[in-house]
Amino acid sequence: MQLPLLQRATDGDTAMCVLALAEASEVVNDDSGFAEVLPVDSSSRIPARSPGAGEQYRFHFNMGKCIGCKCCVVACNEQNGNPAEINWRRVGEVEGGWYPNTRRFHISMGCNHCLEPSCLIGCPVEAYTKDSATGIVQHSADACIGCQYCTWNCSYGVPQYNPERGVVGKCDMCHGRLAEGREPACVYACPEEAIRIEIVNIEEWKRDYASANAPGLPSADDSISTTRITLPRNLPPDTRKSDIYRIRTEAAHWPLVVMTVLTQLSGGTFATLWFLQIFGTSTPLTTAALLALLVGGLALGASTLHLGRPVHAYRALKMWKRSWLSREVLLFSCFSAVAGVYAALLTFRLPGSFSVGALTTLLGIAGITASAWIYRVPARPAWNSRHTPIDFLLTGALLGLLLAGACGVVSGPPLTMGALLAASTQLLNQATKFLWMTASESHELRSTARLLSTTLASQFLTRAGLLIIGALLPLFSQGRRLTSTAFALALAGEILGRYLFFVSVVPKNMAAPYLAAEHRGA
Amino acid sequence: MSLKRNLGLDILSEKYAYATDETTGYTSARKIPDNWVATTCGYCSVGCGMFVGVKDGRAVAVRGNPAHPVNSGTLCPKGLAEHYTLEAPNRAKYPLLRQNGRLSRVSWDDALDALLDNFLAVQGKHGPEALGVISTGQLVTEEFYTLGKLVQLGFGTSNYDGNTTLCMSTAVSGYKRSFGSDGPPGAYEDLEKADIILLIGANIAENHPILCQHLEANPRKTLIVADPRVTKTAMMADLFLPLKPRSDIALINGMIHILIQAGMIDRDYIARHTTGFEELAQSVRKYTPRHVSEITGLEEELILKVAFIYGQAKAAFVGWTMGVNHSTKGTETVNAINNLALITGNIGRPGASPFSITGQCNAMGTRESGFTSSLPGYRKFENADDREELAGLWRIPQERIPAARGLAYPDIVEAAVKQQIRALWVIATNPVVSFPNLDVLRQSLESVEFLVVQDGFHPTPTSELAHLVLPAAIWGEKEGTYTNSERRVSKVNPAVNPPGEAKPDFEIFLAVAKKLGCYDELFHGWTTPQDAFEEWKRVSAGRLCDYSGMSYELIEQHGGIQWPFPRGAQEVTTSRLYSDGCFQTEDGRARLFCAEWEPFPEQPNREFPLLLNTGRTVEHWHTRTKTGQVPILERMAPNAWLEMNPKDAHQLKLRPHDRVDVVSRRGRIRSVELRVTEIVAPGQVFVPFHFVESNANQVTQSAFDPISREPNYKQSAVRIEKSEKARELRGKARPKRRSLWPRRQSNGSL
Repeated sequence: MQLPLLQRATDGDTAMCVLALAEASEVVNDDSGFAEVLPVDSSSRIPARSPGAGEQYRFHFNMGKCIGCKCCVVACNEQNGNPAEINWRRVGEVEGGWYPNTRRFHISMGCNHCLEPSCLIGCPVEAYTKDSATGIVQHSADACIGCQYCTWNCSYGVPQYNPERGVVGKCDMCHGRLAEGREPACVYACPEEAIRIEIVNIEEWKRDYASANAPGLPSADDSISTTRITLPRNLPPDTRKSDIYRIRTEAAHWPLVVMTVLTQLSGGTFATLWFLQIFGTSTPLTTAALLALLVGGLALGASTLHLGRPVHAYRALKMWKRSWLSREVLLFSCFSAVAGVYAALLTFRLPGSFSVGALTTLLGIAGITASAWIYRVPARPAWNSRHTPIDFLLTGALLGLLLAGACGVVSGPPLTMGALLAASTQLLNQATKFLWMTASESHELRSTARLLSTTLASQFLTRAGLLIIGALLPLFSQGRRLTSTAFALALAGEILGRYLFFVSVVPKNMAAPYLAAEHRGA
Repeated sequence: MSLKRNLGLDILSEKYAYATDETTGYTSARKIPDNWVATTCGYCSVGCGMFVGVKDGRAVAVRGNPAHPVNSGTLCPKGLAEHYTLEAPNRAKYPLLRQNGRLSRVSWDDALDALLDNFLAVQGKHGPEALGVISTGQLVTEEFYTLGKLVQLGFGTSNYDGNTTLCMSTAVSGYKRSFGSDGPPGAYEDLEKADIILLIGANIAENHPILCQHLEANPRKTLIVADPRVTKTAMMADLFLPLKPRSDIALINGMIHILIQAGMIDRDYIARHTTGFEELAQSVRKYTPRHVSEITGLEEELILKVAFIYGQAKAAFVGWTMGVNHSTKGTETVNAINNLALITGNIGRPGASPFSITGQCNAMGTRESGFTSSLPGYRKFENADDREELAGLWRIPQERIPAARGLAYPDIVEAAVKQQIRALWVIATNPVVSFPNLDVLRQSLESVEFLVVQDGFHPTPTSELAHLVLPAAIWGEKEGTYTNSERRVSKVNPAVNPPGEAKPDFEIFLAVAKKLGCYDELFHGWTTPQDAFEEWKRVSAGRLCDYSGMSYELIEQHGGIQWPFPRGAQEVTTSRLYSDGCFQTEDGRARLFCAEWEPFPEQPNREFPLLLNTGRTVEHWHTRTKTGQVPILERMAPNAWLEMNPKDAHQLKLRPHDRVDVVSRRGRIRSVELRVTEIVAPGQVFVPFHFVESNANQVTQSAFDPISREPNYKQSAVRIEKSEKARELRGKARPKRRSLWPRRQSNGSL
């Protein structure tokens, strides 16, 4: 199995051995580092003992043995009673070489039970736990609120949202079977014994986890995957994912489009009002404040629609020490409360509005920033940059200013120049992001740029157009009607922009089959 | 969805609960059955032992039988999801009769009356041979035996053949010519014992994945794979021979030539057990390494190397499937393979066998008992002694038994076009997807006055054309035996009841026999498949495929028994044919038939410059009537694709995932997803044949092996066009900036 395609030197001394050796050597890779290490007990597919202190279970996958039969996928679905669309174990393809020295390998993957599980770290409700005895990353459906943040965090696309249940689920290494001394379903089903369970020493693995990497898999750096992969010898150097040309748009997450844009609008408006207060405006700010408060409330309401279990939304506050999603929920909850007080103080012209306004502004900016940090996940490269917080804050600045303008509380150069500045910075932000992605070495980033310049090109241009018109309109006249129009156009532009933000992201993932339907986080 | 679910109060915890089954352990609670029914897989001929889990009368789970000698507990993805086929939405549930142009439900009684009335009317008017019957490799042996008698002796027509002619008849013919009888001589164990395994046109990693276990169990082997396409199996090989399509006869003759020249042959074996060696030696003289190199495209050194490796082997195994069989030169290729084995004495010993890896779960059963291309028990139509013996066993006049076989499958189709066949009974097969050159087949089915389709599924592309649809029970719903590729007879058991009014084919045949009036004569007292089995044991006694020592109990006890297993046989062990060097020919010697290479019939030209080969994918079975209804399999392989080398794609300005049409002289496959890959050679393209939506047989040709009548499905000359629909839809998804494409390292070949 582990041989160059055209020949293994079964009888290297024969004179007949000339062959196409020259061709073969072109694809022969230096096999140092790819040497196969046989498990100690090769007859058993699971370890004879439980992991000791400083150890955990892990999968071993032998890529050279796998024939891509997908028995493991079917067995996993049967084991866990999952519908066909949800596959906790998946099989992808990588391919390289040139005819007839072509090689196609398969990657079978469940959960990698990482040492630094990004699903767990991001989870706002502590639905994930890493079992101290086995190292298995377990997920509790009861605790889960269906926010699907873990599906964005995992570079391998392991956690999958089950819309029928409203919660996420994932491979738990069949811990119940392991406890009985039985192989996990995938391990048992593999006719080639390509999947095994091993015990790994955690500290040793942390020092050197190079064999968690394989062509067709994202770097193990993101979370320190524990799955050990035995690569075939003589892997062609151009071995790559075979689904590399199929680039699809992701889900739009409309509740989140609405939620992010409206929280930013609300935060931006309150900030504008507070700035106006600093400069001693005499215009009553009540209408604008109440409007901004309403928008903020709407935004928080919209966000629960994204959850598989909206009734448990409050649980998202739980993990504020670790999860940016918890922090966002916490900050925006505080923001709403303080903004409510601020609006009341403004409405009833009570004292203290200046300092409460300062706190409101601060919480708004902090909330928006926390919001942005949710998306700064290595698994989604197009989100994982400074462009994201800049984008979010500028949306807030532009829309807040224009809403204030539409309410008639600001006009003249502060409005025109402010809007122009915010819009042009946003344009610059989007343009530099696009160029950065285009020039990137990363397949995911280039693919996002490609989506924006092909499938999504018209939306992308419309978004820029709306931004420009929205920012330029106040220059011509600052009548309430025109400013309102400018606000409406800019709002539409930012909503479209946020839609593009969600749909154009190309997540990291394991190689997929050439044909099969894409797995989606939600 | 309920409010509770929408709010998130209900997460279907009960549905997704786990529990521990005492046999299988911790698993999804709803997959834990009340009881497990032992049976044999109903897909391919590997013949894996398995259990079906039954809960409240429904099949909820399957698992491999760990004690079974074939699969040791594993199953392929189709087998692992086989229980879903039982409740597929397209199961045929009621007899349907076409009335005023529409199929409508009728009683079984009316349905069988309609069948009899129409068949007998046609036969009365045009003669008994105006009835044609096309069956399958999917029924149990007991049903094949019953059907054979019913058709040949009851209806009195010999125009009866199975879809096995579309896959295995070539191996049958080749074996008959070389050894005097059908019957694969080896066993799976040979894969574990051989030191050389040569696979020709056989992609077992895709098509018989469980056989790979037996390969894996052999650490000493050198695996050589000859295939024009770099299949999964080719990638497993120690030595891959990427030969030009249909050049295998030249390769084998070249090997024989080298071995004779080098003296690496078993002269003693040749002298004692074969005839025709001198002629063979003469005929292969022109297959010099240089000549073979020109034909196959393989380097001379490689051809020499393969010959020497084979020649040095202590035990050499040659396996083949459709790459050999789907050919106008198929039978001759099988003879060439047999020649290679015979002159080196690689037959009848552990590890040494020329081995046809069969296709359907019970293709072997119909070959043994089916009364199609042979009389039951591998008896010959043309042999008066055989006919007399059968007549005696059945207590009927010898004249009732035909002295020549009737029309083979493709000839039945052609006879229907010519209106010589006027009524057709199609059983458990789907020719609209599986028969080559679809237009001819359609014309044939539309020409007959009465078309009966008996199947477990409706609608299928074929049953939609029927005048009468008879709903049949399928695997998991009936009892009997299957024979696998290594002649292992395994038991099949019912786990659940058939849906609606569907009945086991066995019961349907007996009911027809009763209406026809031949029940008492042919099937006296039969009520269960076991009655047929007992008679079949007597009929097979003393033949190569001797069942007489078997019983249902013994078969179940051993997870299958290989024939021959004559009465009084004590030990159940691995058996091989021809271990004594005695063959089934009159003089007991094997025949060395000269096989000549010829170019394949449809050579590419300027209009049709590419060569189309067809094949399978592991997720699907044949025409997808079953697997197309299993969601997990459909998810993993949702549509057909066309493989094309990047050089050709570059020339045609095609990109991965483009939609393309495949056009031949016969027709057009529309809108297939393009896969640009180095798996196929420049100049060749490949498409899987399972998908009616992208039916490969719209472009395949009407060319058949003159001996076996098997179609030449492979090597159709085609051209590839960008699909019209795709061109319209294209627009936005097209990349405008090539620089954004992931760049591949160029080897200068593009």
